[in-house]
Amino acid sequence: MAEIQWLDDMSVALARAKAERKPILLDFFNPG
Amino acid sequence: MGAVTYPDSKVAEFVNGRMIPIQLLADAKPYADDFNVKWTPTVIVLDEDGKEHSRTVGFLSPEEFVPSLLLGIIKTQFDLNRFSEALTDAEKLIADYPKSRATPEAIYLRGVAGYKSTHDPKHLKAAYQKLQAEYPASEWTERAQPYNLLP
Repeated sequence: MAEIQWLDDMSVALARAKAERKPILLDFFNPG
Repeated sequence: MGAVTYPDSKVAEFVNGRMIPIQLLADAKPYADDFNVKWTPTVIVLDEDGKEHSRTVGFLSPEEFVPSLLLGIIKTQFDLNRFSEALTDAEKLIADYPKSRATPEAIYLRGVAGYKSTHDPKHLKAAYQKLQAEYPASEWTERAQPYNLLP
């Protein structure tokens, strides 16, 4: 089954977004 | 979201294909303050420079989450004056998710993007007419109402 390939570093997300010309999905979550 | 929506295969396929997903704790510094996060789940769509274009707060089902994200992508493209891309994705949202709560706004944005890319007001009037015919109770029908007065 496919899973969302979450990142956890904003600088990495921004670099990938620029390179792939894609928008970022930013999810703030509470694990508790 | 983590128990129901994110594990959904259609959600995962859409997110992995169209977006760069990042997950942060609700108190992650400095981002929680930068984005004024007060409750979870808060889901925000950013452009490649990290600027916010759309957000939702609270649970969304898989069926509503994908069109919600697609609308966020459309808003991003629209804000960046990428009207051709906005129109393509608006067409997809309207065709594939006619029952979504996101669809009336996509019709509205399709009309505005069509107008801004051609300067032909027929796109605005067509947006109102479709909204009035298919989504008469939507707030976006009311917002588009003046376009019906266009020639």
